[in-house]
Amino acid sequence: MTLLSRTLQAAACLALLLPLPLAAQDLPVPEGEPVLTVSGAIGQTNAGDTAVFDMAMLEGMEPVTIETSTIWTEGVQSFTGVPLHVLMDAVGATGEVLSAKAINDYAVDIPIADWSEGGAIVAFLNNGEPMSTRDKGPLWVVYPYDSRTEYQSEVIYSRSIWQLDRITVK
Amino acid sequence: MSTTPPDKARRSIWTRTSAIILLLAFCMGTVAGMAWVVLRQIDELSTANSDNLQWSLAQADVEVLQLELALRKAIADPAQLGEVRRRFDVFYSRIGTLERGDVFRTLRSAPDFSEPHGAVRAFLDDTVPLIDGDDAQLIAALPDLAAQVADLAGTVRELSLFGLATFARVSDSQRSEITGTLIRLSIILAGLLAGLSLLTYSFRRLYRTAERHAHVARSSEARVRAIVEAAVDAIIVCDEAGAIVDMNEAARRLFGYTREQALGRRALDLYFPEVNHDELRAGPLRVFDNGRRPAPEERLFETLGTDASGRVFPVEVSMDRTDDDAEVIYVAHIRDISHRKAAEEDLTEARDKALAGERAKAEFLALMSHEMRTPLNGLLGTMQLMRDHSLTERQTDLLDHMQSSGRLLLGLVNDVLDLEKFEAGKLTAESRPFSVSRLLDAVVETTAALATQGGNEIAWSWLGTPEDRVLGDTRRLRQVLLNLVGNAIKFTRAGSIDIEVERLGGAGEMVEFRVVDTGVGIAPEHLERIFNDFETLDSSYARRAGGTGLGLGIARRLVGLMGGTIGVESEPGAGSLFWIRVPLPRVDQVPSGADAPATLVTETAAGEPLEVLLVEDNEINRFVARAMLESDGHVVTEAVNGQAGVEWAEARAFDVILMDVSMPVMDGQEATRRIRAGAGPSAGTPIIAVTAHALPEEVARFREAGMDDCISKPIDRAALVTLLRGIRGAEANEGEPVRDDASPVLDEAQLADLLDTLGPEATGRLISRCLTEVDASIARLAGTDPGDAELSAAAHKCAGSCASFGLVRLREALGRIETGANSGGVTSGDLGQLGELWQEGRAALLAWQARSQA
Repeated sequence: MTLLSRTLQAAACLALLLPLPLAAQDLPVPEGEPVLTVSGAIGQTNAGDTAVFDMAMLEGMEPVTIETSTIWTEGVQSFTGVPLHVLMDAVGATGEVLSAKAINDYAVDIPIADWSEGGAIVAFLNNGEPMSTRDKGPLWVVYPYDSRTEYQSEVIYSRSIWQLDRITVK
Repeated sequence: MSTTPPDKARRSIWTRTSAIILLLAFCMGTVAGMAWVVLRQIDELSTANSDNLQWSLAQADVEVLQLELALRKAIADPAQLGEVRRRFDVFYSRIGTLERGDVFRTLRSAPDFSEPHGAVRAFLDDTVPLIDGDDAQLIAALPDLAAQVADLAGTVRELSLFGLATFARVSDSQRSEITGTLIRLSIILAGLLAGLSLLTYSFRRLYRTAERHAHVARSSEARVRAIVEAAVDAIIVCDEAGAIVDMNEAARRLFGYTREQALGRRALDLYFPEVNHDELRAGPLRVFDNGRRPAPEERLFETLGTDASGRVFPVEVSMDRTDDDAEVIYVAHIRDISHRKAAEEDLTEARDKALAGERAKAEFLALMSHEMRTPLNGLLGTMQLMRDHSLTERQTDLLDHMQSSGRLLLGLVNDVLDLEKFEAGKLTAESRPFSVSRLLDAVVETTAALATQGGNEIAWSWLGTPEDRVLGDTRRLRQVLLNLVGNAIKFTRAGSIDIEVERLGGAGEMVEFRVVDTGVGIAPEHLERIFNDFETLDSSYARRAGGTGLGLGIARRLVGLMGGTIGVESEPGAGSLFWIRVPLPRVDQVPSGADAPATLVTETAAGEPLEVLLVEDNEINRFVARAMLESDGHVVTEAVNGQAGVEWAEARAFDVILMDVSMPVMDGQEATRRIRAGAGPSAGTPIIAVTAHALPEEVARFREAGMDDCISKPIDRAALVTLLRGIRGAEANEGEPVRDDASPVLDEAQLADLLDTLGPEATGRLISRCLTEVDASIARLAGTDPGDAELSAAAHKCAGSCASFGLVRLREALGRIETGANSGGVTSGDLGQLGELWQEGRAALLAWQARSQA
């Protein structure tokens, strides 16, 4: 990549960023292998009427890290990922509930209440390592189970979908 | 009304209540424990520790089948390889979840799980290199993989079924555990409920009891209030500091302060005049300072009260303190006793007047009797003298009558005087050895003539073992017996009078004398009265028998004086029995000469004429005595009072001085002291006291004053003769007219008395003490300056010791020093002479002691 092209890219980025409310409107096209496809009632798309994300795009969306234990793992784990509400803002979701599906065809509905700050995240790192499909990766919806007892219910466990690859906002 | 049952009931209620409370506490503790257990279980349930387990297990089945399907599709179409890889990864992930998830821990720990799981794990591990390898190799391995997975499906099925069964068991046991816990909790809750019900019941009963008590207390308070308000006395209630906390209407009336004015004020300040405050605080109200309950004798006292208007009046206060539940309260009843005090004063005054009147009468009677006795003595003495002259038979007869009437009169007068002495408390009983037989012989002898006149026989006898020597007051006893026998004779005609003597058993000291007559007897209603003073049962008898009615009254007093009792039994017409019981201890050892009076009598010389100084103020007595003395051939010099006697004694030497005791100007004792203290020629002459009633203590006083002996008035001629012969004899024996020789060195009779009274042991101890004391005193006196102010007292003290042990001569010398010291009449020669006298007396005392012990 030339200096010029970099400068142009940076300028383009700046141009995109400056009108901030509008910034989310334009989703970049994924350059790597797509890991997540969001469809349904969304305002932002980059592939037809869906929004497709590769890992780099997710990593660029101000990921957060939470510490919690889970019933499927042993000991306290650290999970890094994009908060669900950040992801939904990015796609301009207008629905009340999202239907998440996994590679293994598991499907569950996650209501808008769980998209809150300090709520569920779409994790892509477990203990700082990317997660493979064999290890519930590459994306896993994780709640901070230890922070609130409400998160230690079967409903929440059922919403903790791993091997996530599709979301439909309804 | 007893307070115990309610108390007991209340106590039992409390005991039961505390038991229930304990039980409840236990139940609540258990419930809390159970609740904790339940909460934990609820907590476990509320934080579900698994998502859908069954689904996960079933999903493992599904996913292995999907892998198999993907493998078959890929065999047919190699473009489907990606699907194979994804399905493998999904299956791999599922098994990983089973291996690592917390919720499957139960499953993993079961041994049945490990075998199928091992097979699955081995397949996965073996297949990973193929899946991750290149497409060609994978395609080549697809048929084999498909076969393996088909086999594996059965194993996975087994795994999931086993898991389901395990979790079903776990959830069953969890459920039954929760059920058990809930049942236990219910039982305990039921217990708690029962306990609470019991507690409620018990509290209800307590409440009822309390309500009943409150009611009783209210009505009791109302009753007490009514009693307090109805009281005539002022009642005030004070707290610990004495401040009034309650009062009744009577208190308002008495002191004039309303409740509002009085409450809170100190009762002492309000109700009692200030001048008495200190006295009250130091006295009856000191309980406030001490904070204690007044003793019974402190509760009632009299003082002065004051009211709102300032009136001061006598009050009687009755006070007590109650300690109830730590609240201390003083209750005082206050009564205005002005009227009572006034009445008391009137009574006292009336009584004092009456007593003064009585006393004046008694004194008059005594005075009259005394005044009558002197002329009577004169009369009797004169009659005795008349017998010295030759008389006709008729004259002798008349003289007999006169003398008998005179003696009777004298007896009456003496009765009255005896009574007077009793009233003045001047009499004490003597204790000397005497012979009972001789006493009764004398009584019978004395009264025989009178008895014979009435045609009576008189005799005495011992009942029981006769005994002779006893210790007692023979003179008083004789007087009583004579009185009783005299009475018996008076009221018996042609009968008999018997005197019986008997020693009573028991303490062993009482002797009973009974005077039994066969006379008229006494009616039962009179038996009590006869021992009263001036009591004559029948005036006609009294006239016939004569008497003041004092006889038995005096006898009663005399017997009482001797520590005895007197009584009478009688039957009218059959006779009377008078008895007296007096303590007369036996005298076991009879010392020789103890019976003899302490006189200077010796039998060696016949009567020789003596120079006698007669000191007597009464002219008749003087005349009688002079006549008696002169008829015996003595030479008499008269002195009309003590002063005159002293003057005569200083002027001339007499052989003996007869000294009346009570005289105007100067009495006999004083005169004797002066004669002894002076240096006249008669300073050492024997002095004989002449007195009407020579009591033992009086005789001791006479001896103290320097008198040598004593003779009773009226002077008995025989006694006088004997006495004077003794004087003469003593003088003749000594042969030296030295004044000190008039007295013996040692009065052995006195020592014998001492020995009788105290016994040899105590007497020995006393003598040795006396020796030590007198040794020291004499040595000190010998070295004392004649002008020393203490001399008189020292001499007196030493003289006292000498007197007790019969050291007559030394005692007299000391007496002279004692009297002389005050007037400066003592020389150092007198003091020096003491040593000599003491050596002499000491030797005599030791010699006597040796003799008496031998």
